Amino acid sequence: MRLLVGVGVTLAAYGLSRWIGHRHPSPLTVPVLLSTPLVMLAITLGGLGLEGYREASAAITWWLGPATVALAVPLHRHRQVLIDHGARVVGAVLGGTLVAMLTGVGLARLLGLAAPLQGALGLKSATAPVAIALANDVGADPPVVAGIVVASALLGTVVGPALLSRLGIRSPLARGLALGTISSGQGTAQALREGELTGAAASVGMALAALAVALLAMPLGFLLRR
Amino acid sequence: MNGPAATALAATARLALQIGLLVGLDQLARVLSPHLPLALPSNLVGMLLLSLLLSTGLVREAWIGTGAGLFNRHLAFFFVPIAVGLLAYAALLREHGLALLLVIGLSTAAGIAAAGWIGSWRSSPAKPMASP
Repeated sequence: MRLLVGVGVTLAAYGLSRWIGHRHPSPLTVPVLLSTPLVMLAITLGGLGLEGYREASAAITWWLGPATVALAVPLHRHRQVLIDHGARVVGAVLGGTLVAMLTGVGLARLLGLAAPLQGALGLKSATAPVAIALANDVGADPPVVAGIVVASALLGTVVGPALLSRLGIRSPLARGLALGTISSGQGTAQALREGELTGAAASVGMALAALAVALLAMPLGFLLRR
Repeated sequence: MNGPAATALAATARLALQIGLLVGLDQLARVLSPHLPLALPSNLVGMLLLSLLLSTGLVREAWIGTGAGLFNRHLAFFFVPIAVGLLAYAALLREHGLALLLVIGLSTAAGIAAAGWIGSWRSSPAKPMASP
């Protein structure tokens, strides 16, 4: 019963958010940003709570597996563009990942946040399962890493497209790479809304960024322990 | 059974089969990924596996196109419960919220700008990036 209510509430919130987003396209009407507080409000007021929502959450999140596998289709359709621009693809992913990691740790240190939070902020651009698996390598708490990864992917998804436009970056390849590299799955979902090539570039960005963060986590952990 | 109903039934069955194939590939990736020398989560392994199968022609795009399109269009939906889980971090946010927001905001913007700039570097109009 709680499963059905939870899934129903999530579907309703998502449907409503999409409808509002279609009528008023803006960074603030990105589906996840709009749906999330709606669901939070509904489960809190309805007495379900986060605990009662857990079943529905696990059921929906399970489908993220096949949904990610499905990204292979736009990737396959646009493989030639991605191969032709291979150097740019790898450069954008490595550059973006390195900048996100260094500024994340550097700013955290500057603001006097504790070492475990510094480590978590260094991992924030990787897709959640990768970042969580790397948490111990940088001395961070896995649940805290999960929270920071999700929040930063959401923020990148909301401000990323407008920021890229403001910077004059219009190429679907570059926009997709930036969104996928920094905001992983959520960024890829948003990139797909811009177009199929943007989405394909984001899928590649997300996969390569996961590898890049995994490779850079070890030296980062070493630095943080010194 | 009359025409339109049979067509709708066939389309639904086809969609279910396509989704079933994607689920099967995801399950296969969940079994395979712990044995790979790569630190990638199983869903990304599944994505790379399907890319490989499509490029070798072992799986045809027509077998999964409709189901994959449905998932692609609504990918954001599957992230909603994960974002709702942020409710559990209210205490952390009360304590360090402003500093965290500042770090996450600035660093995310810097990363997106860096990746975007490098990604559009030397993209001359002679090589337009329109979809092929």
